[in-house]
Amino acid sequence: MNELVIALGWAGLYGVMALSAIGSIMGCAIAGQAAIGAMVDSDSGYGRYIGVSVMPSSQVIYGIVVMFTLQRDLTPENAPALFGIGLLAGLALLFSGVRQGQTCASAIHASKTKPEIFGLSLAPAAIVEGFAVFAFVFALVLAGNIPG
Amino acid sequence: MADSYRYAMLLSALPSHGPLFGAKQTPLSRIRLTQRLTLLEPVHAESLGTAARLLDWARLDPTRSDAQAMELARRLVPGIAHPFVRDLVTWRLELRTLMAALRRRRRGDPAPIDDRWGFGRWLGQIRRNWGESGFRLKGAFPWLPEANRLMDAGDAVGLERLLLVTNWNHLERISDGHHFDFEAVVIYVMRWDLVARWTSYEGEQAARRFDALVAAGMKGVDASVAV
Repeated sequence: MNELVIALGWAGLYGVMALSAIGSIMGCAIAGQAAIGAMVDSDSGYGRYIGVSVMPSSQVIYGIVVMFTLQRDLTPENAPALFGIGLLAGLALLFSGVRQGQTCASAIHASKTKPEIFGLSLAPAAIVEGFAVFAFVFALVLAGNIPG
Repeated sequence: MADSYRYAMLLSALPSHGPLFGAKQTPLSRIRLTQRLTLLEPVHAESLGTAARLLDWARLDPTRSDAQAMELARRLVPGIAHPFVRDLVTWRLELRTLMAALRRRRRGDPAPIDDRWGFGRWLGQIRRNWGESGFRLKGAFPWLPEANRLMDAGDAVGLERLLLVTNWNHLERISDGHHFDFEAVVIYVMRWDLVARWTSYEGEQAARRFDALVAAGMKGVDASVAV
C-alpha cells in the first residue's frame, strides 16, 4: 500500500511539469500555426505575431517551479498531498495553455485584418494567463504547508 | 480540440472578405486561393472539389439539360464525405431548383411530371403547389415572393443581388462556432465564389462603359477627320 502511495506522490511531483508542458506544447502549436499563416498574408508585424504565439510557454515554466517547490523526500505522509497538488495544478496549467493558444490564434487572426485592435485582442489571453497564475501561486502556498 | 484548430495556419493565410457588395475584386486571386488550398487534407480537398464541380458556374457545361445536371448531382452528392459540405451543396441545389421552378413557370411550362428536373426535398411540394406564387414555401424560404416579383418585373440585377445576399446570409448563419476548422475553410471558399461572381459582373459593366466611352470619343475624332 505504501509503495502505491509513494508512486502517486512521484506522479504528482512530475505530473505538474508534464501536464503543463503538454498545455504549452498544444497552445504554442495552435497559436504558432496562426502566426505562420498571418505572416504569409501580411508584409509586416512578423515579430508581433511570433511574440503572441509563444505566450502559452509560460505554463511550463510555472509547472517547473511548482515541481521544484514540491520536491522533497517522499513519505507515505506527504505523498498524497504531492499527488493532489501536482495533479490538479498540472491540469489547470494544461487547460490554460491550450485555451490561451486558441485565444492567441484568434488575436493573431483578428489583428492581421485590423491591426489597430492588436492590444485589445490580447486581453482574453491575458485573463487566461491570470487564472494560470492563480493555480501556480496557490500551488506554491499549499506546497509550503505540506509536512516533511 | 485539435480538429477545431486544424486549419489555423491556412485560415490565417487567407485575407478577409469584407462586405459582399463593397468589394471591387476578390481578396486574393483564384490561383493564390488554389495554391493555399493545397494545405487541405486529401479527404477535405476531395469534398471541396466535388462541391465546386456541382456548384461552380464556370465549371458547368451550359449545353447539358437540367435532367443531366441533376443526374450528376444525385450521383455525386451522397459520395461527399464531409456532412457539412454535403448539407451545404444540398441547400444550394435546392435553392437552384426553386429558381428553376420559378423560371419554368414564368415560361408557361406546366407542373413537372417527374423529379428529374430538380434536386432535394421540395420537388413534390413544388409540383403540388405549382399555381401558388411561392409554392407554399414562403415559411421555409422568405425570399421566394421577392424573387418571384423581381423575375416578373424582369429585374435581373435585383434578382441576382437577392440570390447573392440569400447565399451570403446562409453562410453567415452556418459559420457560427467555426473559426479555424474545415467548415470555416468551406465557408471562406463559398464566400470567395460569391464575391468573384459579383465583381465579375462589375467588370463586365466596366468593360461596357469603357466601350461606350471609346465609341463616344471616336465619334468626335471621326467627325473631325471627315471635315
